[in-house]
Amino acid sequence: MNARPRVVVIGAGAAGTAACYAAHAAGAEVVLFDGGPGATSLSTGAVDATPWEQRAAAAATLGLALVAEPLPAEVEAFVTALGCWQLVPAGGPPAWLATESGRLRSARGHDRALLSLAGLPHGARVVLPRVERAEWDADALARALAADPAARALGVALGAADADLLRLHGEERIPAADLAARHDDPERLAFLGARLERVVADERRRDRRVDALLLGPWLGSREARARELGERLGLCVGEVLGTLGGAPGLRLEAARARLLGPRVDLVPARVRSVARVDGELVVRPAASSRAGAGAPTRADAVVLATGGLAGGGIRYVAAEQDAPRGAPARARVPFALSLEAPVRLGVHGEDLDITSSTLGPSLDEVGWPTSAAPSLLESVGLRAGPHRELAPGIFGAGDALADRPRTLLGAVATGLEAGRAAAERRD
Amino acid sequence: MRRLCYTQTVKEPRAALARAPRTLAATSGESPRDVDVAIIGGGVNGTGVARDAAMRGLRVALFERNDLAFGASGNSSGMIHGGVRYLTYDPEVTEKSCRDSGHIQAIAPHLLFRIPFLMPVPRRRHARILAVLMDAFFAAYDRYQPLKRGKPHTRLTPEELRQLEPGIEGDIVAAMTFDEWGIDGGRLCAANALDAAERGAKVHVGVTVEQIERDADGAVTAVRYRDRHDGRGGRLTTHVVVNATGAWAPITASLGALAPVHARVRPGKGIHVVLDRRVSNYAVMAESIDRRAIFVEPWQNVSIIGTTDDDYYGDLDQVSATTEEVRYLVEGIARVLPSIRSARIIGTYAGVRPTLHAWGKLEDQLSREHEIIDHTAHGAPGLYSMIGGKLASYRLFAEEMTDILARRFSLSSRCTTHRSPLPGGEAEVSPFALAERIGVDAVAARRLVYRHGARAERIAERIARRPREALAVCTCEPVTEAEVRHVVRHEFARTVGDVARRTRLGLGPCGGVRCAARCGAIVAEERELAPGAGAHQALEFLRRQARTRVVGLGPEQAQQEALGIATVRAQLGIAHDEAGE
Repeated sequence: MNARPRVVVIGAGAAGTAACYAAHAAGAEVVLFDGGPGATSLSTGAVDATPWEQRAAAAATLGLALVAEPLPAEVEAFVTALGCWQLVPAGGPPAWLATESGRLRSARGHDRALLSLAGLPHGARVVLPRVERAEWDADALARALAADPAARALGVALGAADADLLRLHGEERIPAADLAARHDDPERLAFLGARLERVVADERRRDRRVDALLLGPWLGSREARARELGERLGLCVGEVLGTLGGAPGLRLEAARARLLGPRVDLVPARVRSVARVDGELVVRPAASSRAGAGAPTRADAVVLATGGLAGGGIRYVAAEQDAPRGAPARARVPFALSLEAPVRLGVHGEDLDITSSTLGPSLDEVGWPTSAAPSLLESVGLRAGPHRELAPGIFGAGDALADRPRTLLGAVATGLEAGRAAAERRD
Repeated sequence: MRRLCYTQTVKEPRAALARAPRTLAATSGESPRDVDVAIIGGGVNGTGVARDAAMRGLRVALFERNDLAFGASGNSSGMIHGGVRYLTYDPEVTEKSCRDSGHIQAIAPHLLFRIPFLMPVPRRRHARILAVLMDAFFAAYDRYQPLKRGKPHTRLTPEELRQLEPGIEGDIVAAMTFDEWGIDGGRLCAANALDAAERGAKVHVGVTVEQIERDADGAVTAVRYRDRHDGRGGRLTTHVVVNATGAWAPITASLGALAPVHARVRPGKGIHVVLDRRVSNYAVMAESIDRRAIFVEPWQNVSIIGTTDDDYYGDLDQVSATTEEVRYLVEGIARVLPSIRSARIIGTYAGVRPTLHAWGKLEDQLSREHEIIDHTAHGAPGLYSMIGGKLASYRLFAEEMTDILARRFSLSSRCTTHRSPLPGGEAEVSPFALAERIGVDAVAARRLVYRHGARAERIAERIARRPREALAVCTCEPVTEAEVRHVVRHEFARTVGDVARRTRLGLGPCGGVRCAARCGAIVAEERELAPGAGAHQALEFLRRQARTRVVGLGPEQAQQEALGIATVRAQLGIAHDEAGE
């Protein structure tokens, strides 16, 4: 056995990144299999440890002020190392993010480009520039956000103002993430800054206060450009919380590459199977992976951070879907891990089991979460023992685990734990 | 009074339709009433009668508890078909259907699209004889085809069949083709309601009738109603009440203190499964495990699998498909088109047919005929119930009902609903020219013209005044902001769900995750509601739609669901909404 244990991490989302970081810190040699974008890459930019709705409901029930909960020191240290997220201090007020859907929601932290309304002085006025994009009706959004009880509690006013922020033909219709990527170019960012200066000047000429500018998720795809803009304008500039698949996910991917580049051996491939052969763990990439990546990899320990149903780590396959013609469908559970491994799927604290229906379980009730209870689609995952161990030498992390709230910091915490446990494991 | 409930009328009724002088011979001696006719039910029959009655000069109010086309009208197979199914046991239904299908083509050409059907004959005992019989059967149907500009049937060899639809498998000895027309039932109801309103009718959507008042002699005097959105109620005096509530008919009759049995239907639930694209060029017939005729049809920009027919006694406001029903249909189609198993199901919908009541018959053999019950026989003069009927013969049914009203009110004007175009049917609009003019892509313009016909010009005018309204709210369908505002302002839509029924917004693969909140914000703004009400509507729509999708879940859609839930949690909050509102 090597002096340094060899840890293979499967999945490069929040949990996988944390697992790599922890395993490397614990002295392991780390190989990371990245099978492509998952739920983390699609993330919206809100960073939570426990679901925000749960915390809001608890605070309302108990009649207490909403405060940021304490986090493990190692989670805070990881977030600092990653660099693209900003957390609020524990014990203080949470961050307040404006969503594209017109609500204000609390968060433990956020992507650095997002504007938190919590940081603004009482009586502040936030201006939303009018931009001809489908997701961005500045007037409607300002009205909706201003009507949110949180805006009143924070003492923040919102309003829309005329602006001319688009430069090239067709930018009304390109995806928001593409527009964000255009602002990676310093010259283009300077253009945006100049146009925003005009917006601020126009507003002030009309004796309207401007303390912050709220924009769509357009401020850079490799790094958050919000601070540069804010310094130039002398006020707060930031993004709304956009929908899935926007710029925050791209910025996270870039931050991950910067963090892990010197620490891990990256294999851009999906994994077909993890198996124990002659007492050793062997990780086989999928056949369709790029040439050179097809060789099996030996490991002392494996971390499965493949994501849940949303990220593609768990697949849903209805029993009759691929049944041969005329043959009765198998009485099997309709969920499967996206790769072969000697692990068990479960939900609500129990193993997923054979059902008494030849067509699998009835789906009528699983679709949408009722009240605070998560739906089956959010809860199904791998069943783990202590230290997130799924099977000897195989650890689970993040959304791949059963019955875990799907939050970024939750994924980070399990990733750090699994990564460290994997590195420290000795047969 | 006008502010009491949600009412839309057109400010300038068409001058040419100024009312003929009214003769109130039939009602002389009675006290003056707010309206002549109160119609309950915003399906195709109710809106059809509202239009016909308004055209003949009656003062009309229409009350719809949920939304236009909420029941069977908006949840059918989407065909103005000739009723080939009924040819052997109800040939009159077939003839009437074909004749009226022709009329509907004439008055709403924009809403109809041709659906050619393929009917494979699988090998079994006497299959060749069966093919000959079917050939003769469709030859009989061909006699009615000219009434609806349908093409005569053809008999295909198995090779010809596979050439037309290569996905068809199995041992097939022959196949027949026959020709039908598709329609969007939601659009048909909206067009009828819109026309009625433009001719002076008051259309109340989301307003439920709570009581039909009758005087000491039992005659109808008024309806009491309540707006289900804001809770405000009112009373409207009327000479006549028409119960056009489909499967709800016995419930409505009971609001007038009649025994439900006097307006009895046999409620037959039918479900449809929606696929993410047009998976075949032709509609394909197949047999279910119990030998019922089922089909998969290309319909607008999706494919639809239909349908079941089962007695239903549950809540009519909450009808939805079950896993078993979806599997029953998919497995039936898979016998002919095996690839259907891996097709992506993006939704289901369900409706309840108001078939004529009969004890002891199988659901499929129930009559699709319609009848009008004059409740004078039950001591309630002035109350009529429209029972049975089908989408394809709605206009005729409405004409029959309005003829009765005309006699009662001694009107001389004749029915012209088969000649006067529905809103949008007056002229043809080129989608390509429109696309260029308003700066949307040709597909979006084509869909807009499909839904609104010549009225697409009005939406184009909106966009000319405010170009940002050309931006798509829903990219799956696609639907522009201008269209959303138009249907809220002019087509009686009050919620995100109502907008979806009129525009198909949010019914694509993403399930409304991308557009529901934005649509809710627009609806709230147009209706001057608090922004929170828009978000609440959006969540309600998402929740309701998710329930219709989950019963047909496959791998891609399951992942989409999980992503959708994560998005909604991040953006709006799911538990939050329930706690907060």
